[in-house]
Amino acid sequence: MHYGLNEQQEMIKRTARDFLTVECPGAFVKQMVKDEKGYSLELWDKMASMGWMGLVIPEQYGGAGATFLDLTVLLEEMGRACLPGPFFSTIVLGGMSILEAGNDLQKREFLPRIAAGKLILTLALAEPHTGYSAESIHTEAIDEGNSFIISGTKFFVPDAHVADNIICVAKSSGQITLFLVDAKNSSISKTLLKTIAGDKQCEAVFNKLRTPKASILGKEGQGNSYLRQILLRAAVAKSAEMVGASQRVLEMTVDYVKQRVQFGQPVGAFQAVQHHCANMMTYVDTSKYLTYKAAWMLSEGLFCTKEVAMAKAWTSDAYRKVTLLGHQCIGGVGYMEDHDLPLYSKRAKADEIAFGDADFHRDIIAQELLV
Amino acid sequence: MQFNFSPEEEKLCNEVHAFLQKEITQQVIDETYVLGAAYGGPEARKIIKKIGEKGWVCPTWTSEYGGIQSSEMVRFRILDDMSYMDLPCAFVGAHMAGPTILRFGSEELKREFLPPIARGEVEYALGYTEPQAGSDMVSLEIRAEDRGDHFILNGQKMFNTHTHIADYHWLATRTNTDAPKHRGISLMIVDLKTPGITIRPMITMGSWQTNEVFYDDVKVPKNNLVGELNRGFYYIMVALDFERMLPVGRYRHLFDRLVEYVKESYLDGKPLADNQIIRQKLANIAIELEAAHLLYYQLAYMLDKGEVPSYQASMQKLFATEAGQHLTNVGMQIMGFYGQLQQDSKLSQLEGRMEWYYRSAIVETIFAGTSEIQRNIIALRGLGLPAR
Repeated sequence: MHYGLNEQQEMIKRTARDFLTVECPGAFVKQMVKDEKGYSLELWDKMASMGWMGLVIPEQYGGAGATFLDLTVLLEEMGRACLPGPFFSTIVLGGMSILEAGNDLQKREFLPRIAAGKLILTLALAEPHTGYSAESIHTEAIDEGNSFIISGTKFFVPDAHVADNIICVAKSSGQITLFLVDAKNSSISKTLLKTIAGDKQCEAVFNKLRTPKASILGKEGQGNSYLRQILLRAAVAKSAEMVGASQRVLEMTVDYVKQRVQFGQPVGAFQAVQHHCANMMTYVDTSKYLTYKAAWMLSEGLFCTKEVAMAKAWTSDAYRKVTLLGHQCIGGVGYMEDHDLPLYSKRAKADEIAFGDADFHRDIIAQELLV
Repeated sequence: MQFNFSPEEEKLCNEVHAFLQKEITQQVIDETYVLGAAYGGPEARKIIKKIGEKGWVCPTWTSEYGGIQSSEMVRFRILDDMSYMDLPCAFVGAHMAGPTILRFGSEELKREFLPPIARGEVEYALGYTEPQAGSDMVSLEIRAEDRGDHFILNGQKMFNTHTHIADYHWLATRTNTDAPKHRGISLMIVDLKTPGITIRPMITMGSWQTNEVFYDDVKVPKNNLVGELNRGFYYIMVALDFERMLPVGRYRHLFDRLVEYVKESYLDGKPLADNQIIRQKLANIAIELEAAHLLYYQLAYMLDKGEVPSYQASMQKLFATEAGQHLTNVGMQIMGFYGQLQQDSKLSQLEGRMEWYYRSAIVETIFAGTSEIQRNIIALRGLGLPAR
């Protein structure tokens, strides 16, 4: 068992940390919360030139051919900085899905442009009254010979309003199929939702969108098997962001309690505060190891349904608790909008829900245990 | 990041496991659960001697001291496997006293005391706590007076588990009453057969025995001093870190049995396995045990790198013992009426282990440093927070 990062991962971590400390301070995050697009083109291009978009894309398509575990290290740093923008959607939901399910033509058409930072992608799954299971969706894709006509309403589609392409989960002849469609088509009307974290989630209504047969991603009717892998990756990737974020909240808290003086001494000298911090550190460390174990297993192609669910369930609750304990320790200044902590405590709720909250994942674990 | 064992590590650990599987008897198990010997009794000692012969009790030591120079990762795995098999696996000699002697003892001390520990021939009992010195260990008072080539000891210890079975007492004594408390402590190895030692049992609610130990003019040779005079506190801090690396195999075993119980059981005509509340509770315990497991092996990783875990050992002990409490609490809840039945009761399930462990789990967040002390350590050593 090896709990350290390799040299390449250390380098990814270090350069990402240095870069994002400069490029993504709290003020920038707050700006992007208010901004309609939710990301800055300038920063996006800089990230592309860092090779981040191409990190896990194979070299033959213009990427670095790194592993999912390597990406996890990068995502942890992005989470630490509370990085806004469509990187997660584009790479984890979009690029990696094409890598998994796409045919040669699709890979050649999309992956190089994704690696170069020229495309934004996302995944449209949830609908009114559905969550992460595609069984009960109503979005339909009607076969018209050379093309399909897709109609339906999708909710909570991250970054749909800025995406170039959307992977739409629909039912064709009652079977779940993934369609890689043109997001800019006027038959898709997108409405930005106002969320607690100000992350850009949209309603996307597909109104008889015509899409060529060639836009099927993977095999028709096989959507569920791809979706399973997509959601496993997304859950771990989101957990990685949460690990980085919770570590930052802990540091913020420790810095504060070391210097805030009340009753003649730093409040960090009082046991109640010390115990809150100790609990925060325990949540951070356990989240980190559970997440990295799941990421390693995914990277190695090992069966890891239970481990992924453990990582997401635990980290979702842990990150939220870390932010709340952080608030208790930092006190009055910490709940003001001009402080950075609210960025994290609000984002913690968004991240908790994304790709299944703790209850959802605990049920998956129970299924693995009891069957 | 890599979360499996190498083929060589697997091979060795499987060999140990297979050997132990053949040796376990009901008698050995009963020593712990029925007779209340927390660190095992005479039957367990026989098994420990057998694995000691193979160098598996202190596998990381050189062959000079009775080991096989394995990694800490292997040692941790062996202990975890033993824990899963419900074997005693916390040996004061092998795991606390031994590593301390190895780090701080003189060459003569090492040559005299380490090989018998590694061969599993002798057992030790911790001797830190006194009536007025628990968490505040430096307030210990048992006096060791310098009489030239020996010390004369007078005083009392309390909550000293295993002294009624062990060969040696790993004793923290006061050798200087003028210095600040933490600079007047010396660590010594006392033969428990020495005249003047009286042992009185104390029965914990976990059904296992700990002891009061009275020292009346007990003679201890100077040779048995560990390291330097009055430096004992610093050695004990290291020994405590080792004490806090807790294998959670026995909890994983109990959990696995609970899962089987849930699979087979019904309440009011409905399978327990379909009950959403039970499913959520079970899943949460599974996560905690997995997290405790990962924290545990991280300690081995650090040790193999030559790093000394400090806050990490405290975090692991804290987390593992609290997870144990959650498991036993949830376990009793899931088992309903049956959770409260003891091993020898009619109708008992899981050999009454759930209620046995519920009681002993209460002790575990207190011994080897309370959860509150562990949180203090995490804050002070792990996060650099200031002391009051």
